[in-house]
Amino acid sequence: MSVWNYVVTAHKPTAVSHSCVGNFTSPQELNLIIAKCTRIEIHLLTPHGLQPMLDVPIYGRIATLELFRPHGESQDLLFIATERYKFCVLQWDGETSELITRAMGDVSDRIGRPTDNGQIGIIDPDCRLIGLHLYDGLFKVIPFDNKGQLKEAFNIRLEELQVLDIKFLYGCSKPTIAVLYQDNKDARHLKTYEVALKDKDFIEGPWSQNNLDNGAGLLIPVPLPLGGVIIIGEETIVYCNGSSFKAIPIRPSITKAYGRVDHDGSRFLLGDSSGLLHLLVISHERERITGLKIEHLGETSAASTISYLDNAVVYVGSNYGDSQLIKLNLQPDEKGSYVEVLEKYVNLGPIVDFCVVDLERQGQGQVVTCSGAYKDGSLRIVRNGIGINEQASVELQGIKGLWSLRSSTMDQNDTFLVVSFISETRILAMNMEDELEETEIEGFYAQAQTLFCQNALHDQLIQVTASSVRLVSCTTRELLDMWNAPPGFSINVATANATQVLLATGGGHLVYLEIGNGKLNDVQHIQLDYEISCLDINPIGENANSSVLAAVGMWTDISVRIYSLPSLDLITKESLGGEIIPRSVLICSFEGVSYLLCALGDGHLFNFLLDLTTGRLSDRKKVSLGTQPITLRTFSSKDATHVFAASDRPTVIYSSNKKLLYSNVNLKEVSHMCPFNSAAFPDSLAIAKEGELTIGTIDDIQKLHIRSIPLGEQCRRISHQEQSRTFAICSYKICLINNDETEIHFVRLLDDQTFEVVSTYQLDTFECGCSIISCSFSDDNNVYYCVGTAYVLPEENEPTKGRILVFLVEDGKLQLIAEKETKGAVYSLNAFNGKLLAAINQKIQLFKWMLREDGTRELQSECGHHGHILALYVQTRGDFIVVGDLMKSISLLLYKHEEGAIEERARDYNANWMTAIEIIDDDIYLGAENNFNLFTVRRNSDGATDEERGRLEVVGEYHLGEFVNRFRHGSLVMRLPDSEAGNIPTIIFGTVNGVIGVVASLPHELYVFLEKLQSNLVKVIKGVGGLSHEQWRSFNNEKKTVDARNFLDGDLIESFLDLSRGRMEEISCTMGVSVEELCKKVEELTRLH
Amino acid sequence: MDDESSGSPTPTKEKRASLLGHDGVGGGASKYLKDLPSRGLFSSRFPSSNLGSIRVYVCDHDTTPPEDQVIKTNATNILIRSLQLSKQKNDAKDAKASMEVSRGKRVAARLLDGKSSAKRANTGVASSSAGSSSGLSERMLHTMTVERLRALLKERGLSPKGKKDELISRLKSDKLR
Repeated sequence: MSVWNYVVTAHKPTAVSHSCVGNFTSPQELNLIIAKCTRIEIHLLTPHGLQPMLDVPIYGRIATLELFRPHGESQDLLFIATERYKFCVLQWDGETSELITRAMGDVSDRIGRPTDNGQIGIIDPDCRLIGLHLYDGLFKVIPFDNKGQLKEAFNIRLEELQVLDIKFLYGCSKPTIAVLYQDNKDARHLKTYEVALKDKDFIEGPWSQNNLDNGAGLLIPVPLPLGGVIIIGEETIVYCNGSSFKAIPIRPSITKAYGRVDHDGSRFLLGDSSGLLHLLVISHERERITGLKIEHLGETSAASTISYLDNAVVYVGSNYGDSQLIKLNLQPDEKGSYVEVLEKYVNLGPIVDFCVVDLERQGQGQVVTCSGAYKDGSLRIVRNGIGINEQASVELQGIKGLWSLRSSTMDQNDTFLVVSFISETRILAMNMEDELEETEIEGFYAQAQTLFCQNALHDQLIQVTASSVRLVSCTTRELLDMWNAPPGFSINVATANATQVLLATGGGHLVYLEIGNGKLNDVQHIQLDYEISCLDINPIGENANSSVLAAVGMWTDISVRIYSLPSLDLITKESLGGEIIPRSVLICSFEGVSYLLCALGDGHLFNFLLDLTTGRLSDRKKVSLGTQPITLRTFSSKDATHVFAASDRPTVIYSSNKKLLYSNVNLKEVSHMCPFNSAAFPDSLAIAKEGELTIGTIDDIQKLHIRSIPLGEQCRRISHQEQSRTFAICSYKICLINNDETEIHFVRLLDDQTFEVVSTYQLDTFECGCSIISCSFSDDNNVYYCVGTAYVLPEENEPTKGRILVFLVEDGKLQLIAEKETKGAVYSLNAFNGKLLAAINQKIQLFKWMLREDGTRELQSECGHHGHILALYVQTRGDFIVVGDLMKSISLLLYKHEEGAIEERARDYNANWMTAIEIIDDDIYLGAENNFNLFTVRRNSDGATDEERGRLEVVGEYHLGEFVNRFRHGSLVMRLPDSEAGNIPTIIFGTVNGVIGVVASLPHELYVFLEKLQSNLVKVIKGVGGLSHEQWRSFNNEKKTVDARNFLDGDLIESFLDLSRGRMEEISCTMGVSVEELCKKVEELTRLH
Repeated sequence: MDDESSGSPTPTKEKRASLLGHDGVGGGASKYLKDLPSRGLFSSRFPSSNLGSIRVYVCDHDTTPPEDQVIKTNATNILIRSLQLSKQKNDAKDAKASMEVSRGKRVAARLLDGKSSAKRANTGVASSSAGSSSGLSERMLHTMTVERLRALLKERGLSPKGKKDELISRLKSDKLR
């Protein structure tokens, strides 16, 4: 591994923090806009539901998202502020479908203490100004002029230092804010201020409200005619507007989000931290409030944002669980809930821990995450590639070809499955009991290998063997006509569609037949210079039954040619280069774009854009799919056409955003495939692999597949044990004991196939699980689960007591074998030289596994090392121990066997607050810290002085923009040893917003190449809203901001593939590398995740 | 999943629901859920979950905003701005007053002062207040400490005794005189 790292997102952020509704893309269209940390999604509301439109990356962590409409505009503008104090105003240009930057700027101040309660960004309902509360004691105003343009911003001193919420009030002649704040006696009050734009100052507002609910935390401004503000507390809801005051008690709850239902603000939806949804009703007579009422509606995911869409449909965005689209029903269901969940949007966040396992033992990693918080806690199994769900399988050796046939042209389902072998052809059919049974089609020739067969027009079937083409009636199943290969020549390859047959015999003869009613007509015949290796006449043009183009792959000159039909005139010849012959060609169409795919005998695949009218080929691209010859076949799934590439590494080729994507299928080796849509196995595929024939359905065609295992409680740590085929997790849930909410912590054992909880060990009161590993000890063959815990007592700042528990899995049960009390929280456990290495508060401690005289075992302390604030994260390699400290960055320790001691070797002297660490190689360590940065440090073992050797040098810095909770070595994809990407070591990380990412250590040469590509891409791909890529990726914390180095932004580099051809060529020119080469390089990188 | 983990969330939910009891029965929300706003969207009986895939936006056009819409924050320190502001107000007031008392020269000098750098403005205030009190407005007197007021009174040979308000009114009456 190396210091040259490539960081890329495998799974985008899914935790939703903000959402808003407005006419953004057109004055007539209603949009839902969702913020997912560093991305925004634009959706369109339609009568049929929510239609996704655009997924926009933002160079910043979104702190504020607001739609507003300045005077004179016909559609809404989008205001975004980022956590690093940039803001932009975006406008949608309907003509070009682009986002235009209306305004942008930097709102940071040189001095100022960032607010504790997060940034607040609000827009005056009458669009006179934008208000920002970013630093304690300061309120920033960006005024609008009367044309809706922004003017120079200024700060106003805000006396209230502990601000909880600020909102603009409706219907005020001067812009007025309501400030909810806490005073230095922890009492909460509300105050109003008018913003005097001319004087750039506050004027004491018209009213204030003192001594509110101690838990008051959210303000809801009420539109006219009522005006005023609702203050949501933990035990009361208060309405006030200076002249009137109304309060109602509520059951204790913490309201996290609200959504306005009616335009006049008479109904609001409130979502609380436990996921309960309430309706707040304000009844009023004109401008006078008559009553407040709160009604329980039902349960959703714990909401972070609520947006009322239309017609009783509501979007509930969550960062603790899956976001939902819900419908509010007029009548409750049998459980008394008015909430009906229409749709769930998967959210992995917060990923607290995860492990990489290979459950199917296919050499491909899967990630199992601890996702969600509180009641929305779950395990998620994230897997790359497409799975085949096996429905039936038969043992059949030596399959040379597979085709499905319908019993008549009118039939919707396939009945026959034609299986071809080296010297015979067998026909399987579904019988009455829905079983596959061998049958016969009289007109077919069964004593030879079938080269091709197909349903043809006029209720006929076509079979091509080495010697003849046979036309058979579907109804009588008798031979109607036959075309014989000329004597001395046998048919090598053949293809057909409903009306045409194209075949090639030895000697380079190409023969074109047309299928008539009961008749085969020999239409055209040419001789080519070389032998023909493959053919295709898949009709994708206007006529669904016949094609005007034929694709032909050639031996000897290694080319692919396009001929016209029926004349067989050569239109295009494309030389493929190299020495590997094309084995399969396919004309196909994805999303209305026509392609020619051509697969070689060594697992490479070419794709070209095919012009159907001229027959020209363009945009040549080459990718490597496997190492063996590939057979291409089309199939449909969910009304879209895909191509199955059967080889040693079966792949599904599909298209998204008019770009070809390759997703591997989770099967080892597939020789042939055909779609088989029978009544018993609808939408299935028949797959020939390793001596068996399988019929199965295919997963949705997408890159990552996520399976959810809801736990109903939050899972904090996970570990897998290969030997017992189990997972062990540390989890907790909140239970009501004597009306007190108490956390109860568990160690649970789950089966790694069914994910059922098979055994549970409940921890003591106040005891919580902090770490878990599966490990073995020297002189003991058993594999144990070791769990580190802490007793978290309310009166203690840091735990002073914990335990290490050693469990053995026996008969699917957790058996406690040994326990050891520790003097603090066991934050981390590692198997270390046949011993157990624990991080306990500020200490690293090594335990031996000792056999007592009575035969039982115990953990015995061997040695330790002090000198950390809190040793939270520990990784080991050989005798080296790398420690990530709470606030003292990374340090390197060494265990000395002879002396039985641990001593410090080197440390990074920066004050980084760590969130995760991993060892990249002997000398280089990777760290993540709490300002969303990644960095690498290098051990300087060749340093001249002790001082140099004792310092870990920072060699790489990068702003990830995500809070990393865990690094693990591993990969989500199957690695091909021959490809360049196959040898690149990778580390997977999981973050709070549900991102799964990959850090790949590149060879220096590739890094330099990609760095050049990245710097060229930055010039072409602009940051939305004018935000700068360089600034975004610069390492930034309270102490310093420095440019990123030795890290590359894979997300930016891989977006090269989304560029238009023209832009690609632009970059190719400046790089001096062909577009094809660039695409191949980048596509190879996309296979890292 | 074992009984323990799946069983217990339900009772807590029920408990929470029963705690809600304003209306007691859950059926009470129906009347408030009538006439939810609708513009005809989501009108299909079975909303479709598959309305196409989302396009990833690649922004290859220029995104710099119009020149005058790159917003910066006014660099003036708020403290200084508030001083300047109050000064401007006072000056306006003083200018009015001085027109009556015809002491234009000094005011003009001070106006110049106000335009100079922030630091100068600051010292300007200090020096003018340290100098004579003749140009002092009531507002400025209020900002002074009691000791300072007493010093001024002594200068004028007036009694330095009493509360701050009294001191100010004494100075004021002296000034008018």
